[in-house]
Amino acid sequence: MHDALVYIAMVWIVLLLGWVVALTIRSSSVSQRIAALDLIALVLIALLTLFSQLRGVAYFLDAALAVALLSFVGTIGYARFHAQGRIFR
Amino acid sequence: MTPSWLAWAADALVVGGLLVLTLGVVGFARMPDVYNKLHAASKTVVFGVAALLLASVATLDVALVARAVLVATFLVLTAPVSAHAVARAAYERGEPARTARSVDEGGAAGDG
Repeated sequence: MHDALVYIAMVWIVLLLGWVVALTIRSSSVSQRIAALDLIALVLIALLTLFSQLRGVAYFLDAALAVALLSFVGTIGYARFHAQGRIFR
Repeated sequence: MTPSWLAWAADALVVGGLLVLTLGVVGFARMPDVYNKLHAASKTVVFGVAALLLASVATLDVALVARAVLVATFLVLTAPVSAHAVARAAYERGEPARTARSVDEGGAAGDG
């Protein structure tokens, strides 16, 4: 793992993150916005992964796991609310 | 110390993962409707992130590699479920598919 590549990759992922946030704001329907929010969490996990590899510290991956869990539950809940008007049956 | 071939392999995984991740985001931006967008968002992006996570094997740190494998497994298991939930919600709300020659086999969505 060469540090220069990780720095370049992190800058690239931050640019992608900005693009996905712009896509979320500009999306034309509610379900596209839910999918784009899920995508934001995935790009954020990629950023945290590179950061933990750069520092050699595992704690950032705990944060990545928390982001993954919250985004999964949030996406499921939001999709159910969008479809049925309520989350639990 | 990390062997040099392992460092280069990790570099290759990072570059490949970034490429696949970028392709997924481009696909999400350019696909016409939510059903097509979910293909790019769920499959392509998840495997790009999984390649980035696998690159952490080069650190040879057991705690870091174990957590990376955990996160990758979790993503591969949950991304199809959340994508299915979003697509089902869009379908139940009657969101039309904008692809040419798309066929509604369920018949529940309104006028496509």
